[in-house]
Amino acid sequence: MATSMTPEKLTLRYSVVSTVFLALAGIEGLLMRTQLLNIPILEPDHYYAMLTAHPIVGIYGWAYIAVMGAFYYLVPKLLDKQLYSIKLANVNMWTMVAGVLTAWASGFLFRFGALYTLYWPLPATFPPHSVATFAIGLFLVELSVLLFIFNITATVLKKGEKHLLPPSKALVSLLAASFGLGGVAKHLGSILARATVASSAPSTGEAGAASNDDPPLPVFVVAVMRGGIDAVINALVLAGASVLMLVFSLPALLAGITLNPLLVDPLVYKNVFWWGLDMIADGDVLIWVAGTLYLLAPLLTGRKLYAENVVRYVILADLVISMGVWSHHLLSDTPQPDLMRLVSGQFVTWGEFFTMGLSFFAALMTLWLARPVKLTMPMKFMLGGIFGFMLGGFSGLLQANVALNIVMHNTQWVPGFHIHQMILTGLGNVLFAVVYALLPMLTGTGLKSERLSNLHFWLWLIGSVGMAFSMGLSWTPGMLRRTLYPGTDIYLPYMASAMGFGIILALGYLAFLLNLIKTYGLKTLIGLFVPLGKTAS
Amino acid sequence: MEKEERRWLLILVAVALVFNTVTLSPLVPWQTWLFWSSPTPTSEFRIRVDSSGFHLPAGGIVVKAGEPVKFIVTSEDVTYGFGVFRADGSLVFQIQVLPSYDNWIVWVFDQPGSYTIRSTEYSGPNHPYLVSPNAVRVVS
Repeated sequence: MATSMTPEKLTLRYSVVSTVFLALAGIEGLLMRTQLLNIPILEPDHYYAMLTAHPIVGIYGWAYIAVMGAFYYLVPKLLDKQLYSIKLANVNMWTMVAGVLTAWASGFLFRFGALYTLYWPLPATFPPHSVATFAIGLFLVELSVLLFIFNITATVLKKGEKHLLPPSKALVSLLAASFGLGGVAKHLGSILARATVASSAPSTGEAGAASNDDPPLPVFVVAVMRGGIDAVINALVLAGASVLMLVFSLPALLAGITLNPLLVDPLVYKNVFWWGLDMIADGDVLIWVAGTLYLLAPLLTGRKLYAENVVRYVILADLVISMGVWSHHLLSDTPQPDLMRLVSGQFVTWGEFFTMGLSFFAALMTLWLARPVKLTMPMKFMLGGIFGFMLGGFSGLLQANVALNIVMHNTQWVPGFHIHQMILTGLGNVLFAVVYALLPMLTGTGLKSERLSNLHFWLWLIGSVGMAFSMGLSWTPGMLRRTLYPGTDIYLPYMASAMGFGIILALGYLAFLLNLIKTYGLKTLIGLFVPLGKTAS
Repeated sequence: MEKEERRWLLILVAVALVFNTVTLSPLVPWQTWLFWSSPTPTSEFRIRVDSSGFHLPAGGIVVKAGEPVKFIVTSEDVTYGFGVFRADGSLVFQIQVLPSYDNWIVWVFDQPGSYTIRSTEYSGPNHPYLVSPNAVRVVS
């Protein structure tokens, strides 16, 4: 089957799998919303196990798989190369599916419920078999991320048919361009050239000549490669956390030996863990979304990206920022040094305000200068995504503030105004923009029903913003996140509102699904995975 | 850099400066004692928390409004939270309680009344029940 796999089919597979995981995350969300209405459909330990699995299913199962599928198609296409290995891309996807489902099963079957934060030593308090199962799932997820980055990096770095540089220069040149260093090198080169001209005779240094010959990598590819650094760090740190869980759970499971979990310092662990985890939240999500906007805005308008040179610096600056923001998760940890909380936690986080602010500006200016712009479906979703990131990003800056965090940390403000706004309204809309833009390229035809597409857009936008606001506003009467309130009715109006908007969101998803099935047929979609009939391969 | 880009960057810089200056200033009341001065607490309360709940000092917690008091909260097993809530449920302040560390905060209550302590960090399925109603009494 792998031999007949085309890049289009590969990406369609990824899209279908991610769509299935989005449904699973949505069902979990609605079940948990029901529980928060004080309708006890789950045992508390099952609720918290679901709360643990929910972000794994949502982030890795839906968002990551969707992103990987899109990048596997777009990066080779933009570079006019073949993907390094389609076979590896398939292994990559199934490893992710296995990892997500294993982590999910650790909660569904064994009630592992240490949440995605995995604050040490909480994981060690759960039954060893549940810990080991979750750890294996998480390890597979991170292994999949590493396979993806390897495959994409190998694709970017391999010699293409139209590659002009001599082999000796190709690797260094492409590496520099990949990590956004090309712009810096060029800038330094021009300063040096000016200095040389001013002091002596004109010079045509080799560096300048080489940079002229450089095949300029599209900013989208530069952003993908830059995000790859974050992805690798994130994968190594989270895989490390899974190994730690195995170190403590396997001796208990196999030999009845209980190790003292406080041998690992909780504060050091929390710092390392958040440093790694933030490489997704404050690294990949932002830079890959920015990169996608750098691609979509010109693609949808037929106009060159505005301020392309500036965004190349933005991509590099964001690397420094994503490496240094993690302390905003430790603003309420008083043993964390004050300087770390203020500088890493608050000030560096404001760096994202600049990088994302400039990225949105570049995308929006591109649209503005291309007026009149046709409001196609990808365009609508892209604008919806920018709107979501603006709302969610600003609320994130408020909670990442030393003063305000005291009354916001771990309240519903965080998952409402920030996380769900960023993921559902921001990331969700951008991912759908890519799906709507890619489907005609992948299949030769766009989604059949414009009415269903519009319904999808508006229901998704209204549902996601409404749900995020309903959750976030319950912060005012003091509702905490990760907390059930049995017998308390003060928060019920907020939770009822969140449920209502959650249902609207789910209807938006169903409109998309129906459109997908109406356009391509269920048989075609299933046929992407299993041979149907004798002629299918 | 184009003129529009420079203007936009200037706007971003201005927003960042204004926001950070305001939130570091005494315009946020608790910054007066958390950031700008380190007042000597008039009383100090040591609280231990475990999976069964908060273990308060014998004699309870009674403080005077307007005076700085220090809370030192410890745990010996997992991470908890220490949040103080008003009678209407709204949050006054919270900190994380890391095991093996002294987690402390100095606070100045401005309103007399009874305040509830609740763990603000998930510590396992028993987390919603880690509540001590009316555990802090603030007198004028």
